Amino acid sequence: MFGRPTKEINAEYPAEEKYLDSVQRVVRQACVSAGMQRKDVSAIQLAVEEAATNIIRHAYLYEKGMLRIRIVIHKKQITFSLIDSGRSFRPKGSGRLDLQRLVDSGRRGGLGFYMIQKIMDTVDYVSTGSMNELRMTKRLDLRADKGTTPLLRRMFSLRFKFSFWTAVIVFIIIASSFYYVNDRTTREIYRQLDGTVAALGSTISEQAGLYMINTRSDVEFDELVVSYCNSNPILERVVLTDTSGLVVAHSDDNRYIRKIYEYPSFADSAILNSPQHASRGAAQSNYLILQIRTGQRVLGLVHVTYSSEAIMSQLAEAREVTLLLTGAMILIGVLGIYFLSNRFVRPIVNITRRVRRFSSGDLETELPVEGADEFFEISTALNEMMTRLRRDRGAAIEREKMAKEIEVASEIQKTLLPRQLPKMKGLNIDAFYKAASMIGGDLYDVFMIGEDKCCLVVADVSGKGVPASLVMSMLRTVIKIYSEGSDSARNTLILVNDYLSGNMPRGMFITVLMAIYDANKRALNFVSAGHNPMLLFKGSTRSVVKLNPSGMPLGVPVTLDGSFSDSLEEIHLQLENGDLFLLYTDGITEEVNRDGKQFGIQRLADFMQEKLKDGHLANIREFSDAIINEVNDFSGLSSQKDDITFVVGQLIPTDVSPPIDESVGAETVDSTTIVELPRDLQD
Amino acid sequence: MEGISISLSEGGHDREVSEVRVDGVIDTLTAGELEQVMDSLLRRERYKIVVDLAGVDYISSAGWGIFISHIKDVRDNGGDIKLVNMVADVHEIFELLEFDKILHVMKSVDEAVEIFTGRKSDIKKKRVIPTHPHD
Repeated sequence: MFGRPTKEINAEYPAEEKYLDSVQRVVRQACVSAGMQRKDVSAIQLAVEEAATNIIRHAYLYEKGMLRIRIVIHKKQITFSLIDSGRSFRPKGSGRLDLQRLVDSGRRGGLGFYMIQKIMDTVDYVSTGSMNELRMTKRLDLRADKGTTPLLRRMFSLRFKFSFWTAVIVFIIIASSFYYVNDRTTREIYRQLDGTVAALGSTISEQAGLYMINTRSDVEFDELVVSYCNSNPILERVVLTDTSGLVVAHSDDNRYIRKIYEYPSFADSAILNSPQHASRGAAQSNYLILQIRTGQRVLGLVHVTYSSEAIMSQLAEAREVTLLLTGAMILIGVLGIYFLSNRFVRPIVNITRRVRRFSSGDLETELPVEGADEFFEISTALNEMMTRLRRDRGAAIEREKMAKEIEVASEIQKTLLPRQLPKMKGLNIDAFYKAASMIGGDLYDVFMIGEDKCCLVVADVSGKGVPASLVMSMLRTVIKIYSEGSDSARNTLILVNDYLSGNMPRGMFITVLMAIYDANKRALNFVSAGHNPMLLFKGSTRSVVKLNPSGMPLGVPVTLDGSFSDSLEEIHLQLENGDLFLLYTDGITEEVNRDGKQFGIQRLADFMQEKLKDGHLANIREFSDAIINEVNDFSGLSSQKDDITFVVGQLIPTDVSPPIDESVGAETVDSTTIVELPRDLQD
Repeated sequence: MEGISISLSEGGHDREVSEVRVDGVIDTLTAGELEQVMDSLLRRERYKIVVDLAGVDYISSAGWGIFISHIKDVRDNGGDIKLVNMVADVHEIFELLEFDKILHVMKSVDEAVEIFTGRKSDIKKKRVIPTHPHD
């Protein structure tokens, strides 16, 4: 309906705010070349800036990405498409934002989109899998179609145009054929008239010749001309002259006889035997001069003046009828075209109405497959498109729901982490957790399992995302249940594995490091189900040892190597003051720096030794902060690949209450939240 | 890239009216500076604010958002934010977006000060906060 685009501009920029200026420049140029007014141009720039800012902030969350802009200029509208491959953020609100409510709430959310909707005529947001497109259209001709039924009007104008131009063509054809016929007819009638008069004239001249040879009387000559005039109404006047130019006979009046003949003003005396025509006002005069001869001798001339009035009036009458008929034909033709076009255009109207309905949200609508082949084709093609869109829309809704669910899962997961770490006699505990993505697959937990015993767990579920997080929740619950009152980490984990092996998705496995600390005996017994070695700093030797008891990960099917319980080795440690143990996941050791090098266990052990060998560790929080800093310094700006989790325990004299006892638990939760916060804040 | 410069002066009876003079464009990148100035005014409980936009030829939603999000707070405390000397282009958009239903626009600083104090204006330059244009 809008014809071919007159211009299309494509540009691509990194999605960063410093490129907004370049985007604006392209938009401004496009607007100017489309002939927009200055004030409209700055409004458009405003809308595009809002859209682009939204993409940078919300679709990409300030992360790297590309922002593509496509501007299509049509004769009547200009379309700005902003395309990104970031997070799909369907803009909320419909542009009918309640400004007053916004003011009352003192918030700003939705202001940008409100402005876009106010400035643009139509705004569409299409999200197809990897791409999001915000399409904003501005009509260029503001005079057109602001009415209530733009659709019908537009259809009317199409029909009107068609009828008008067809009518013009029909009119030209009929009018020119009328003119042609009329012209031919007129000439034919004159030819006949001239022929008749020529025949009469030559008869008169023959007779006059005979009379002259026989020198008849004036009366006889007079009778000759008068009788011819009377019997032939087309003859107005017949005059005979002799060789000297004297009048021999005159049909009007015999007084002219023997006087010099005076030619009418229009006639040329030199033209013989050929009719002369001259128009005198409305009427036409016709004149014919013929020689009167006998043999080779010229005796005189016959002057015939004849009228075309009679035939002219006949002709005029006929022409009137023809004109009337022609007019009627044109009228009928135009009306017929108009109503026919109605008929032909109706399928388009139907199609348009359905498509509108579709675009306004009625996804179930189907186009009628009817009418001529062309419409059949259009309808079929549109139906196919609509089916696909319906499907994509369904998928998009699914995806959005999924994203929401992930958010919820992430929230739930956060609540699953221990809110407070237990306070143990003679043991300081701290923990840290930072998820690499919205939902992590790592788990840590520290909880009391009796009067003086606590259980410390660090686990890593294979894979990431929702499935990993679900398995993690299950693991946490199962461990909690089976460890209650248990003395042996090994026995507990065997029970946990028995339960999980029947309830875990195939192909998924968990590595677990689980320790039970007995505050009375100051003893730690622990098992590792395929997990990273525990690092133990011995206060007595001031050195770090790696403790790696054997064990298969949870969830691995029984193999030839033996069963899970056979593989699981338990280590008992007698601990004393100044000892410090570290349980962690491979998020730390597999953290990669810019050069692609891994952090590694050795680096962690070395760091631990370096940090602890002097023996003046103020508190355990200082130690865990040091680890976090060390890992962050190592990885630099490269983004975190995996969840980072660790639990650290430090043995202190039993009679000394932990110096930061109060804050340990609370701050642990903080450390989780603090690291996650910047991500949340951006929303 | 165009930057922004903001200067602050006080006037009216008892210097109760704050005049914020802005030059440049108020967009995503520069709005933060204006936001800071507004915040500092509100923290000092200065609620009678005149914003002189004579030198501003573009305001994005980040800019409008500053006025719209603060207006209720300001009015609840007996003050107002008066926008003055708006250039034609900005005013067109201001009306198109129907912000005229919320924010008051005046022709000149004097007029706004008069409304606030009921007297002729007596704005005196007190201090100027120069800001560096972005590049």
